Amino acid sequence: MSAAPHPDPAALKALQEELYAEELRRVRAMTESERLNEVFELSDHQFGMMLAGAMHRIGTTDESEGWEEVRRWMHRLDRTHDHGFYATELPSAP
Amino acid sequence: MKLEELACLVIETADKVGVDFMAVGAIAAGAYGIPRSTRDVDLLVSVAVPGNIERLIGSLSPEVEFDPQIVFDTATWGRRHVGKCQGVPPLKVELFETFDDPFVNSEFARRREVFIPMLQRSTWLPTAEDVVVQKLRWGRSKDLDDARDVLAVQGPETLDMDYIRGWCREHGTMERLQNALDQIPPLD
Repeated sequence: MSAAPHPDPAALKALQEELYAEELRRVRAMTESERLNEVFELSDHQFGMMLAGAMHRIGTTDESEGWEEVRRWMHRLDRTHDHGFYATELPSAP
Repeated sequence: MKLEELACLVIETADKVGVDFMAVGAIAAGAYGIPRSTRDVDLLVSVAVPGNIERLIGSLSPEVEFDPQIVFDTATWGRRHVGKCQGVPPLKVELFETFDDPFVNSEFARRREVFIPMLQRSTWLPTAEDVVVQKLRWGRSKDLDDARDVLAVQGPETLDMDYIRGWCREHGTMERLQNALDQIPPLD
């Protein structure tokens, strides 16, 4: 499969690299404590966004139903991310 | 419960139970690289004292309920315990046991204590070099991104690259290391 279509792949690559470089400059200017705090802030924010998305997706105003849907999504994500990486038994000795 | 509240609970409980540990996963990667969101609090826990991990798991109940099924990662065959946080959002705690592995022993011996303002407490983290080596060893897509980001944010010139290269040679991950270094753009 080819990369995302773009009329000028070289310009797209340059843009991607510049965006990454810009993010690196931002993060390099932060202290270790600020970076650690951002992990928690981003995580809290992401769950808020996921809840809103889940509630919209299943058409509910009930937060508990929204969280159930988020839980289902996370379960599927875990299975995808962990696929082939974890086992419940050690390999048998040769 | 928010992620920071869960992290506080897990760290405080580990301290109370007297378990030696260090935070790994997104928390460790975020300290040195580009912060990213996570739903896990991951700890590498020393099993030098028998019964340590069981005491920690027992003390985290009922807030965190652990699956009785232990799983092994297929990169190193280390043991992992997965606990689900009760309530919302659906957060998790993953406890990885130390095991008889030269790198795991080295990274654990080199861990450093760090104060996290948001948690208003100290915790233990691996060094930046050890995060890079560990992430390259595991080699999943997000691990490779984390390794590249730590190298890029810290700058190879500030890291002990001989240490990193030594372990990468040992683990057969030199190509992954080179790929990560090649992706760092010029920043001046």
